Amino acid sequence: MAKATSGKCYVYVNDRRVGYVSDGQKLASEVRAARRNGMLPNELNITYFKKINAVHVNTDFGRVRKPYIIVEEGKSKLTPEIAEKVKNGEIDFNTLIRNGVIEYLDAEEEENALVAFEEKDINEDTTHLEVDLAGIFGITINLSPFPEHNSLARHAMLANFIKQSEGMYATNFNTRFDSRAYVLFYPQKPIVTTSSYNYTAISSHPSGQNFIVALSTYYGYNMKDAIVLNKAAVDRGLGRSMFYKTYGDEERRYPGGQKDEFKIPPPTAEGYLGEHAYANLSEDGIIEPETKVYEGDIIIGKVSPPRFLEENLGARGLEERIRDASTYLKSGENGTVDEVIITELTGATKLVKIRIRSLRVPENGDKFASRHGQKGVVALIVPQEDMPFSETGVVPDLLLNPHSIPTRLTFGHLLEEIGGKTGAISGKVIDGTAFDKKGEERLDEYGRVLEEHGFDRNGDEVFYDGITGMKFKAKIFNGIAYYNRLYHMVSNKMQVRSRGPVQILTHQPTEGKARQGGLKFGEMERDVIVGYGASLLLKERLLDQSDKATVYVCKNCGNLGYYDYIKKVKVCPMCGGNNLDAVEMSYAFKLLLDEIKSMHIFPSIKMKA
Amino acid sequence: MAREYRKGAVSSMEVTDGEPVGVIAAQSIGEPGTQMILRSFHRAGVASVTVTSGLPRLVEIVDAKKKPATPFTYIYLDEHSRKSFEKSLEIAKKINEVKTKDVARSIVESFSTGKIKITLSKQMLEVNEITAGSISSKISKMEGADASVEDSTTITVSVHTRNLKEIRAFAVKIGNLTVNGIDGAGRAVVNQEPGTNEFYVISADSNIDKILEVPGVDRSRIYTNDILAMYKTFGIEAARNAIAHELDKTLKEQGISVDMRHLLLLADAMTFTGKIKNVGRHGLSGEKNSVFARAAYEETVKHLVNAAAFGEVDNMSGVTESVLVGKQLSLGTGNVELAIRKQDMAKIGKKEKK
Repeated sequence: MAKATSGKCYVYVNDRRVGYVSDGQKLASEVRAARRNGMLPNELNITYFKKINAVHVNTDFGRVRKPYIIVEEGKSKLTPEIAEKVKNGEIDFNTLIRNGVIEYLDAEEEENALVAFEEKDINEDTTHLEVDLAGIFGITINLSPFPEHNSLARHAMLANFIKQSEGMYATNFNTRFDSRAYVLFYPQKPIVTTSSYNYTAISSHPSGQNFIVALSTYYGYNMKDAIVLNKAAVDRGLGRSMFYKTYGDEERRYPGGQKDEFKIPPPTAEGYLGEHAYANLSEDGIIEPETKVYEGDIIIGKVSPPRFLEENLGARGLEERIRDASTYLKSGENGTVDEVIITELTGATKLVKIRIRSLRVPENGDKFASRHGQKGVVALIVPQEDMPFSETGVVPDLLLNPHSIPTRLTFGHLLEEIGGKTGAISGKVIDGTAFDKKGEERLDEYGRVLEEHGFDRNGDEVFYDGITGMKFKAKIFNGIAYYNRLYHMVSNKMQVRSRGPVQILTHQPTEGKARQGGLKFGEMERDVIVGYGASLLLKERLLDQSDKATVYVCKNCGNLGYYDYIKKVKVCPMCGGNNLDAVEMSYAFKLLLDEIKSMHIFPSIKMKA
Repeated sequence: MAREYRKGAVSSMEVTDGEPVGVIAAQSIGEPGTQMILRSFHRAGVASVTVTSGLPRLVEIVDAKKKPATPFTYIYLDEHSRKSFEKSLEIAKKINEVKTKDVARSIVESFSTGKIKITLSKQMLEVNEITAGSISSKISKMEGADASVEDSTTITVSVHTRNLKEIRAFAVKIGNLTVNGIDGAGRAVVNQEPGTNEFYVISADSNIDKILEVPGVDRSRIYTNDILAMYKTFGIEAARNAIAHELDKTLKEQGISVDMRHLLLLADAMTFTGKIKNVGRHGLSGEKNSVFARAAYEETVKHLVNAAAFGEVDNMSGVTESVLVGKQLSLGTGNVELAIRKQDMAKIGKKEKK
């Protein structure tokens, strides 16, 4: 940017310099006045930069903008009379914008504004007033109650967890065929709500449940971010959800008039798996609804024409040569066939969609999160009789480690628990919108209600150990918090391998859950074993349990040879000799030698003895 | 025979045979290095001289860069000067590098006349105790131009060429001409050792060869963070110590403690040939004996083709090669081998029977 010379204030429109004025400040205020009385569009934003003495006008797309109430001469333009009209529905928001009561500022123009939080904060320099203080956070973060009491880092996490939570994503989930869907059995509205629940559809499609939470350890089972659940609560349907997955296939047409066909493959088909494999399929080759299916089971029987046209067709004709192209359940998946649809695509292509449903009861390793960026993984599900219980006989649904609160600065979590408890006792919905009231005021309010009902005003209660029956020396803080079940579940991720498939090219084990793969023993892991000096362990990992191969090496020329099983003799194809030794090496090295040879370089192996 | 068992702190710290010290050193420096990335850029800018620190500096040392991004030299003074601020300032002034552009208000070239007009700042001339005359004579010594003093703050240079590019290049050259102090010594300022009454000079560059010639400089205590300058002036041993010391200093600044022996091993590896080698393609890794080890690192094809052209032999003895073919490493447990082979044992047995 050019350094502004004295007296010249350059004006940029959408970052393009268009000219200069003598007084940029004046230009900015004149443009603003024109925008407010409707002479200029409200999408236009203008900023005067004092430091570099330049004016930037922005009219392009992609700017984040936020509405503010205009303040002029120390008075809010939203007078009580106007506010009354808005309340009665006589004026709508757009009218307010058109009449210069509210305007949108972009990030740049905010630099020129002095925004008052509340009407009483307005002084002579104030230019704008916040429409709603909670608006500082935005709609997603406002789904969290008391966000003003939480750390900003936790807000960022919350925004992610909301996306991952299970709930009632659509009321017609029964007739939909989403490739993956999670539906919570008993979604509840939160006891502690916020204004965001009024503005969004999330209150009619809730994504969580109100858990009774006690801040207590449990024999070390909720160390770090582990959580302990009550078995009885889980059996009653706490956090229970259904997982829907859709498989599909279609009858594809191929050049040459050939076509796929849905049917039970005949024994003559290539890759036929035997009669029992197709036993679940009905006559049309498609599985019946309400059949229990397990991993590897065939759910759609299909035959396809051969991949390549071969010259040697043999006695049988081309039509008869078909291969099995059935769809089977992926590894680690099982469930019940929920619904089957058979329909047609344009071009009379037959299409089948099969929805598999499977029950997901919370188990060890499943993930839960509260609305304060506090996530945890189930580490133990305790029978109700072994859980700690309160004086009044309340047994918590979830035990949260108290250490997870102070270091993360999520005090909103504590407030929500007290608020939830208050709401449950008094039968009221508690409003936890940001900046609605001060923290102490809220505590006072909830404390009073709790005391009225004979509880401790701070939410603490006397608890007894479920196993010994002994009273705990300390009182235990408990309350009700709204928890989301997140869709990361062990049953979808668990994977194990001892033996299994290998890659064709390298003869090394496959990678990934879908291919029954192993976990990579990478370079850094190798370095660790080298650093420890465990050279035989390393050899076992990298050779014996990977791509060990026995290769014949010619002692004469150093080339690789082979063993002729017919003539019962070792052969070197290079020098024709028979003096070869069997050598153990990694298949990857054999492959490397082959590839080097393809570069016209001859690597010769010389052996010691 | 078994080695005699020695007690004591030193012997208990001895490294055993076959211990992979290099890998351990690499991990011991590398692991804390990962934590540094986050921290190094979060220092609030203090107005004083900023010195590269943290990961960028570490990379600089290990890569054996020709010149550090922020070179500096600590110039300690001999006993006659170190106690007096005035004397120290005098020496600093001798060292302080002043360029034409530092004292010039403007250097304007005229392409039509082939003349360059230098307007000097009176204030800057006084501060640096130089005159237009001395600058003019320095410029005149340059080839291809004559300089003449117009008045106390104006110099006109007439260039012998009419080529536009050359005139512009000459103007830039004049701007970068050292008119006072030591060429390549940088800005020099006097500093006081905290807690003592000793003064020393810090310069923002590393031409220690020339700085050492300045009278009043303590030749035994000069220090620079420019490792190559250390090597050129004091030799490879000094460079080795400088590498280890700079690594240690950089890590300590970040609050990371790495055992000095790991750093010394790295410094040794970089200098043991008598020249400074960097860690990477053109240094340590690029000069490994094994073809496969080099090919596995970088520029695979180049190494394989060269090996083929020169008929190189790979003994398959290093870590990379052993892992590649699936051989047991000759490290740690794999360090020992049978001294006598099976067939030879049979021979020994026969001899004993006879």
